[in-house]
Amino acid sequence: MNFASIEMILMITLASGVLAYLIGKLNAKLGSIVTILVSMYVTIAVIYFGYNGELVITTEYLPLVTFKVTNIGLFFASTVTFVFAMVSFFNPFFIDKYKFKALYSMLYIFSLVGILGVFFTDNFMTLFVFFEFTVWSSMFLIPMGKSTKSTTLYFAMSTIGSFALLYAIFLMRSQSGSFDIDQGLAMVSGAKATWTYILLSVAAFAKLGAFPLHLWLPKVLGDAPDPVTAVFSGGLEKLGAFVAVMGLVRLAPVSFNIGAIDMDFARYVIAFIGSITIIIGTLMAIRQDDAKKLLAYSSMSNGGYIIVALTIGNGIAISGALYHVLAHAIASAAAFLAIAAVARKTNTTKMSELGGMIHNMPITYMVYLIAIISMAGIPPMGGFISKWMIFQAVINKGLPIIAIGVFFGSIGSFLYVFRPLAALFLGQQLPEYKHLKEAPFFMVLPMIILSGLIIYTGVLPNYILGKINEIVVDLGATAVTITEYTITGFNGTIHPALISGMFGVGVFVAFLIFITFKKSKKVTLMDTYTAGEFIYTEELLHYSVDFYAPLERLYEKYIHIMEKTYDSIRNKIAEVGHFFKYYFFTNKPEVSVFWIVIIVSLLLWGESLW
Amino acid sequence: MKSTKFSPMTQEQIDKKWWEIGNYFRRNSLWMLMYCTGCCAIELPPAMTSAYDMERLGMGPMATPRQADVLLVTGYLSLKTLRRLIYTYEQMSEPKYVVGFGSCTINGGIYHDSHAVINKLDQYIPVDVYVAGCMPNTEAVMNGFTDLMGMIKNKTARGWLDYKERNDWYKKNQLDSLGEVLVHDEFHE
Amino acid sequence: MVVNILVGLGVALFGFVLQTAMGGINRKIVARVQKRIGPKWYQEFIDIFKLFSKRSVSHGWIFDFGVIMALGGIIATAMFMPVTANIIAFEGYDNFFIFVYLLAVGMLGMAMSASGSGNPLASIGVMRALTTMLAYEVPFMIVVMTIIKLTGGTSSVSEIAAFQQIAGNNWFIIALPLGGIVAIISLMGMLGKKPFETYIAPAEIASGPMVEYGGKQLGMLFVMHEITVFIEVSLFIHLFLGGAATLGVYLLKYFLVYTALNLISSVYARFKIDQVVVFFYKWPLFMAVTQAIIAIYLGWVI
Ligand code: SF4
Repeated sequence: MNFASIEMILMITLASGVLAYLIGKLNAKLGSIVTILVSMYVTIAVIYFGYNGELVITTEYLPLVTFKVTNIGLFFASTVTFVFAMVSFFNPFFIDKYKFKALYSMLYIFSLVGILGVFFTDNFMTLFVFFEFTVWSSMFLIPMGKSTKSTTLYFAMSTIGSFALLYAIFLMRSQSGSFDIDQGLAMVSGAKATWTYILLSVAAFAKLGAFPLHLWLPKVLGDAPDPVTAVFSGGLEKLGAFVAVMGLVRLAPVSFNIGAIDMDFARYVIAFIGSITIIIGTLMAIRQDDAKKLLAYSSMSNGGYIIVALTIGNGIAISGALYHVLAHAIASAAAFLAIAAVARKTNTTKMSELGGMIHNMPITYMVYLIAIISMAGIPPMGGFISKWMIFQAVINKGLPIIAIGVFFGSIGSFLYVFRPLAALFLGQQLPEYKHLKEAPFFMVLPMIILSGLIIYTGVLPNYILGKINEIVVDLGATAVTITEYTITGFNGTIHPALISGMFGVGVFVAFLIFITFKKSKKVTLMDTYTAGEFIYTEELLHYSVDFYAPLERLYEKYIHIMEKTYDSIRNKIAEVGHFFKYYFFTNKPEVSVFWIVIIVSLLLWGESLW
Repeated sequence: MKSTKFSPMTQEQIDKKWWEIGNYFRRNSLWMLMYCTGCCAIELPPAMTSAYDMERLGMGPMATPRQADVLLVTGYLSLKTLRRLIYTYEQMSEPKYVVGFGSCTINGGIYHDSHAVINKLDQYIPVDVYVAGCMPNTEAVMNGFTDLMGMIKNKTARGWLDYKERNDWYKKNQLDSLGEVLVHDEFHE
Repeated sequence: MVVNILVGLGVALFGFVLQTAMGGINRKIVARVQKRIGPKWYQEFIDIFKLFSKRSVSHGWIFDFGVIMALGGIIATAMFMPVTANIIAFEGYDNFFIFVYLLAVGMLGMAMSASGSGNPLASIGVMRALTTMLAYEVPFMIVVMTIIKLTGGTSSVSEIAAFQQIAGNNWFIIALPLGGIVAIISLMGMLGKKPFETYIAPAEIASGPMVEYGGKQLGMLFVMHEITVFIEVSLFIHLFLGGAATLGVYLLKYFLVYTALNLISSVYARFKIDQVVVFFYKWPLFMAVTQAIIAIYLGWVI
């Protein structure tokens, strides 16, 4: 028995998942409280033992499973488990809304187990098994929300990702002869390297929700229960980033080199897809009415940033990507939790039905504000640091076409993050919500912790960047130059603490100006300029429907192209299925036997060829 | 230790000084809200454009009552518009001034016997300056503006204070004529 | 450190005074274009102080807080701005991206406060402002990216200016003619000058975001606006016009740029908001990308 052993942590978590189920059967609330305790325990154990270098990797009980602690695994594990722990505080408040209360608690913990396994293994098979474990346990969490349809979509897209991952694993094994991750990635070469590169990218894309495998993301994130949404966006999606680091950075595809930018063609294509992902995510986010779907599309576009940065693959780019993983995980978790806190009171996340929530829930509003400042990449929050580094990388590489996507997404994010702010939190206070109160303390607490962390990552990023530098060195790139307070990129130095400090000075000066002059007269929200018209209905003075209508009109004709493509592919597949059914699965047994014989002999022939 | 030479100003005196300084700024930067109710409004374009150029006095048009300093009531006011005018006037930020244009706002003008039009504007909101005429000359309009500036300088443009002090009287007049200032009917709910 | 902060605040104050005076002078110039006499050159100061002397209304704490955040963010941005090669508060930290993104804090504060007033016209104005931003920012950033690449990789505004002052290097507005045109058009969009004035549109949406402001809040927003214009015009001077070695040159360039923009804007009418977007994503973006490709890959720089 060693409590610092990964195996031990895993098994304790697994056992407490079952325990949560049993307790949840007796009392659903208690069961969900177990999720809080367990995820807190895992987080603390991973972070404490991990960063003290005390994690033990030997296995005593689990067969075939091997563990390894890498810097990158530790980084991802601590980020994701932290998000899980913060979100778990919301479980007791939402548990009553689900049909299978005990099951929910169990699956929540099980997804955590899967995550731990993926990040702490050195073996592709273990990785794959735990990967699937996460997919399956999270899959059953989704239908507890609004609809079950999105689950199928998630499953379909995940399957594509899983198969791609599996093929990539087999390809690597065929060259290296073992399932070892480091060996596999190191030894694969030639055309197989390019294929592995592409397959791993597909696996990463499916998990990150990147174009063209993005369709599940908004549906799932929109329909899943509110805490699960936060977990998906802040945690589970990051599995994709983990696979992407493996594939995009550690593999060198060999197609042909584009001379002008000194970049491999396959890499450029992936970067281009990343940039398309950013643009599509941004454009779609701008036109959503459901706040959760809006944030879901923003997750997609942020996934695009990670892909672009990883394909560029030098020190700054990788640290930018990893820092973005962290910054976006915290920020999007905080934003989703804020929306969830509102949704719990109002039972809707549609922005056209909400308004003026700031007067009821000021703390939730501040949390959301801090989160979106980070998501939009504005100083002094964490998102600025990562976006700054990614910009550096793109500019240094000189990629104007990809830069369009990168810049567009960054400015576009101002648009979409502002929409919930204006329509949901600000604006007129709708009468049906006038009586609502701020969320209870235990919901506010995790949100405040997350906000604190967002600010910390924006003001003093250097401790975390130091940790990321270790990963960057592991991956074979040059570390970013950081001093105690400053970060030096390709194009200059920034001093985040100085920026935040000056922002503080500016606000202080502005505040002085503000209080020097006469006090304002308080008026109500309805006492507002209406060109002399008398209006007493709050809804009429609340601008929330079709917020960006003039902009949307420019592209709304084109938005369903992807859905239509997939629909036609589905029809084609169904036709092929009918064809097979007609010829192979008839009622006549002799036909079936004939095909079975043929297939078996083909297989045998193939075996002898191998 | 108190200085013997300079007796410190009382709070009132300080306020008065600040008010005078403020008055300098206020009279040199009058932002107008044009409530173009009647035909007198046609005098504003020449006053604003190159013929008379009111911008040289620091005046300019503004979009909403919150931003404006002076409300221009240009001509006759039907009961319906009067409601809106009062609503708009009350939304302006203090200090605020009102200029009434044309004989219509003074005594009803040629519409004095109409059932739908009020006769004396200053019974409903305080008017600082009237510009007489039907319609007034543009020179007269400009003159009215300079008069208003002079009044601000002499601290005689006290209409907005009057509206506060004698609010009951104004409200009573408004109610007598309009019944209800802020209408609640099926069109406005 | 304290000295640096004071210098920075001094730059912000300088920017405010400079731009407010320039604004007044330009009102005079535009008036002369329209055959009017025009206001006094210090009219804008009078306007702002008048606003501070009035009693305003407030629509709740977010309305006030947003204004403070807006002005604070802009002051913070101005503190990083180099004026000449020597007048700079935080040497080495005048990164281009700080200006773009720290400016956004101020904008966000203003947008937040405007929406917090509960007036739908304010929200519409904010929507238009953000949409316009989406339009002009992308081509501009592509051009700036080209510049950063050409200077051998520095995004420090003062270093870019210094690079242009080296003998043999042209100002970037000449070196990158297409990019220069894009930058001018984008600058018009940034300043909200006439063809792109869609988000103010006094006759249409009652001055947009500013609809509910009066008194000191409006005064603070005016101060914020003046400093914003200072930042944007200065950025243009440093990035495209070779910066300024002395204060006199700086003032001259500033005056010329700002006046030229005003003269252009005084003969234009207003675009519709979707026209703004389509316009920017048609020619300026195309020109910016063409410029980037021929400058970075082919090395054709004048
Ligand atoms: S005073 Fe004469 S010009 Fe003016 S509104 Fe009355 S009728 Fe028209």
